Order: sequence, then C-alpha cells, then structure tokens
Amino acid sequence: MTPAYPILKPSHVAGVVKAQMKLFNRRQDVKYYQIEVFDKDFVNIRFSSPYRIMKVEYQESKDFDVYIRKSDLIRAVYICTISKVIKSRTSQTLISSRICSKISDGVA
Amino acid sequence: MKYFIIALLLCASPVFANVNIVGNVEAKCVIQTTKAGVYGNPIASKLSTTPADGGVLPIVRYDVSIADAYTANITHPTAFSSSPTISDTVAWTGSTLVTQTSVAGMSAYNAAKTVVGNSTIFNLTLAGSTWFSTASSAIYGSAKPLPGGIYTAVVQASCIAK
Repeated sequence: MTPAYPILKPSHVAGVVKAQMKLFNRRQDVKYYQIEVFDKDFVNIRFSSPYRIMKVEYQESKDFDVYIRKSDLIRAVYICTISKVIKSRTSQTLISSRICSKISDGVA
Repeated sequence: MKYFIIALLLCASPVFANVNIVGNVEAKCVIQTTKAGVYGNPIASKLSTTPADGGVLPIVRYDVSIADAYTANITHPTAFSSSPTISDTVAWTGSTLVTQTSVAGMSAYNAAKTVVGNSTIFNLTLAGSTWFSTASSAIYGSAKPLPGGIYTAVVQASCIAK
C-alpha cells in the first residue's frame, strides 16, 4: 500500500480531510482487503471510505480515498489494509496480512 | 518538381522530441505468502506446524523498498479460527524466525527481534526481501484426543510504517 506516509488533504466536506491511497495485491491467495484507521495503540478510529472491504485481483491495484474527521486527526496514526482470508477445508494456518501507512502530521 | 521535393526533404533538419521517463522510489512494503502452513497431528492431543511433527511451517515474504521505514510484526495464533466443538482448554505455543534473506545483513534480524506476548517484532533496517517462518503448536487440555475435524488458525503478518 502506498504512500507509506500519506498527506491528508481537505475534502469536499467541511471538517473532514482525506488521504488518497493505492493498494497493489501481490497475494495470489487473497482477493479482498478491509480498510481500517487506528490510533497509536491500534484502537479503531471512525472513518469513511467508498470501500470498507474492496476486491483487488492478484497483480492489480486499486486507488481509494479515506475520509477522517478533523476532530479525530489528533488520534489517527495509521491507515491499514487487512487481507480477508477464506475458510479452509484442511487443517492449516491461514495468513492474514496487514500493511499500515503512517499519517503525516498536519493537513496539506 | 519531384527532384526539388526530394532535395528539400534531404536538406530539412531533423526534429527530435525529448520523451522523459519518470520514476519514483518511495517507501513501500509488500507481503506475500510463500507457503501456507499445515498442521500435523503427531499425537492425538497435538497439532503442530513443525516438520518433525508432520506439519508445514507457514512462510511469508516481506519486500521493503526503503531501509528503516517499516517494522514487521508477526503474531502466532492463540485460538482456532475454525474447529470442531472443543470443551477443554488448549495450550498454545509459537515462534517466528527469519529463514531466508536477500541481503546478508538481514540475518541479524533474529538476534535483534523483540517478543511481546504472542507477537514477534522485527525492525526492517535494510531494503530487500526477508522470509519469515512461524511455528505454531496447540496441545489439548489434559492430553485428551482432539475431536476429529478441520482446524484452522490465523497467523497475522503486519508491516507497519515507522
């Protein structure tokens, strides 16, 4: 997921800023990714996005925007994508990957 | 007239167009699954990904493009994500190791790792690829045989920007 250090920009909604992100799927075994926003202790922070869970085919990329309230900016630290694993029919370990970008201080 | 046009074309000075190729190297972390783990069942009360127990270790590969921009945080399971109904406690153990690297200096990651609870944290101080394997073992309470069925557990591999 890029950028690693997203810069928040004003959005079309007053009091809300947005980060423009891009996810590239390099996992053949995964098609769906969930977006989350966390504080420094990985406690969830409310946000909005056109996709909460998005489908990204293997070796394809998808652009997405994450909208965060300005009042939550003081706590928001990470924007993460988390892979969704598919239920297995064999006894095995599934691998869930989570990639987190760190929000740069301030709004552009 | 034809010879005049040919002469004119020969005299014409060539026109060059400059086409720029733009590249951008930015901090980026990619996680790939190299091998999905499989639980072996060496004794009736135990499931383990260790090859000695008949299991297969899950291996994940981290690619980072810029040095010292990310930490890898790998968490081994402490519960089944799906299983038959089990009535007793399960004792979980696990560990994560660097098993392969693209840069020799990355072999120092094992010595420098930090273990917090069931998470192992590696500071990715060098750019390149690192392969991590995670061992996971579950022993059913009081050495009872595990109920028959499919057991799955989730290893969480995180790459967090510093």
